[in-house]
Amino acid sequence: MAGDSGSARGLHPDTIAGVALLLLSAAGFWLTTGFPEVPPMLSQNVPPTFFPRLVLGLIAAGGIGLVAGGLRAPRKTMSRLRPLVYVTAGLVVLVPLSIMLLGTLATVFLLSLGLPLLWNERRLKFIVPLAIGMPAAVYLVFTVALEVRFPTGLVAALFG
Amino acid sequence: MGLPGLEFAAAVFTDPTVIGLIVVGTLVGVIVGALPGLSSSMAVALLLPFSLYLDPIPSIAFLAALYCAGTFGGSITAILINAPGAPPAAATAFDGYPMAQKGEAGRALGTATVASVTGGMISVLVLLFAAPLLARVAYSFGPPEYFALAVLGLSMLATISGEARLKNLIGGCLGLLIATVGIDLTTGVDRFTFGVPELLDGIHFIPVLIGLFAVTELLTQAQHLGRKRSVVTLAALKLPSLADIRSVMGTILRSSGIGTFIGILPAEGSTVAAMIGYNEAKRWSPRPETFGSGAIAGVAGPEAANNAATGGAMVPTLALGIPGSATAAVILGGLQVQGLRPGPFLFEEQPALLYGIFFAMLFANALFLVIGLIGAKVFSRLSLVPPALLWPSVLVLCFVGAYGLEQSMVDVWVMIAAGVLGLGLKRYGFAAAPIVMGLVLGGLVETSLAQSMIIFDQQWAGFLGRPIALVFFVLALGGIAGAPALGILRRMLSGADSKNVS
Repeated sequence: MAGDSGSARGLHPDTIAGVALLLLSAAGFWLTTGFPEVPPMLSQNVPPTFFPRLVLGLIAAGGIGLVAGGLRAPRKTMSRLRPLVYVTAGLVVLVPLSIMLLGTLATVFLLSLGLPLLWNERRLKFIVPLAIGMPAAVYLVFTVALEVRFPTGLVAALFG
Repeated sequence: MGLPGLEFAAAVFTDPTVIGLIVVGTLVGVIVGALPGLSSSMAVALLLPFSLYLDPIPSIAFLAALYCAGTFGGSITAILINAPGAPPAAATAFDGYPMAQKGEAGRALGTATVASVTGGMISVLVLLFAAPLLARVAYSFGPPEYFALAVLGLSMLATISGEARLKNLIGGCLGLLIATVGIDLTTGVDRFTFGVPELLDGIHFIPVLIGLFAVTELLTQAQHLGRKRSVVTLAALKLPSLADIRSVMGTILRSSGIGTFIGILPAEGSTVAAMIGYNEAKRWSPRPETFGSGAIAGVAGPEAANNAATGGAMVPTLALGIPGSATAAVILGGLQVQGLRPGPFLFEEQPALLYGIFFAMLFANALFLVIGLIGAKVFSRLSLVPPALLWPSVLVLCFVGAYGLEQSMVDVWVMIAAGVLGLGLKRYGFAAAPIVMGLVLGGLVETSLAQSMIIFDQQWAGFLGRPIALVFFVLALGGIAGAPALGILRRMLSGADSKNVS
């Protein structure tokens, strides 16, 4: 079961979120300084930095508000993320890599097999039909009917 | 006075494809709504890429049916297992589940169905009449008015939840920031693209939506995996009597009005409407003490309101191009991806499409009267599908949907990034809906602001000479600062009172 943990260094979560937003605003502002200069005639005095900087300014103001509110607020704990969340997120990140390597249908098969097992489902009478049915459904509906061209992967390219 | 746009109803009711898609959309909507964790916003976001293979009328009719039915579907699991299938049904569980525990599940489900259908139908009728009127008013709007209107829409995010007021506004700004990625249309300069050519056209709306709604929810499900749910047995589905319906008709009509009004307000969706509908049902009830322990009006109130909000939310979405709710924002994105320009001119350019949507929503509401009354027992079984078997299918749909739009792996990475970021934001109290609203409105806000600044020769004071824009700004300010100002005033007054007492 998820336990509770204090937020980093005892800071209120809003303070942490506010600081992150301030950093995001600063980074965003720094990136806008790299936008090419555009002559005022062309930009009609509305340079490409105008709107992003306005929005970044609003985000920074909101961040300051959160920091201020968080510093005044009583301490609050956040529930710790279960390891399963990190593993699931890792699996999600692996999917596009697997698509590029093994191809889409093989990846869908592995995903339909792997995620239930990862989530502690052991009833093969449900998992196996799902793992076979999903790639078949994707192939029939999307590849055949809707003509979506999915990546076939490096392995298929090597042997194709 | 007859129904406006009746001549276009034929486009819906004589086309078997459209009829079939509305039926499918309604069925899928009820199923998705009934599955805890899957919301109508997520379903519309997931199915939007596939609907783009269709013509605009069947595509948007399908999504609109899904929207209406998804909002209703959430009530089934709220009543039977005390787990609202979608946030708008949360208030339904307050009295629906106690009714089910007392063996009155059928009565609760039947009441929810009748209330939902009545609320939905009333709101669509309002939509039929109000949207063209609102569009007519909006014909005279120029860029400054549109900018002010979009600001008003974003400011309403502050009123969705008092506690998360500031976070919702920040979320809206984050959406606006994401919308700036890509080539600036005025100057041709590329912004925040990091040398990735696929980002020159901007970050596509659909992968972000799928990531924020579906992938984030998948990771949230991983956090809550293993929670047991108890299901109320439904041996016989005993429907509410006519006397039951008669006793709550006042509540249904009142909540339908409330829901429609709340839905019309930009950004305010079904969840807010349902909560207000529940509170008002309790306030007007002769026996408010029964609420929370199985009051039939406690089911009728929120259900009528949350479904009425769906039609209401489509009014500003279609007439002004300002989404009335998160799901309406997704549908608005769908219209944009179809190459259409939501707003007043749509009534001149695409009347068949608009009235097609209206009649599709009416038809969907009529359909789930049948589906709700006959199929509730079957749909309730769906809640028993283990998450470990349900979510792999959802994840596959996420990947296929994100990839299928442009057939680009960059979109898949964008979806994953949005999903992981969405989980982080959710943990810190930021909701997905404001980000989506900001993202959808981003283009309109930037373009209308830039055009206004050009018109006003870079003088912000130029807005002062535009009365309609000024009204919108004042309303926006009221939306943002109104509640905190009232809170401060109340504290000051109570402080003065306590001093007087001492």
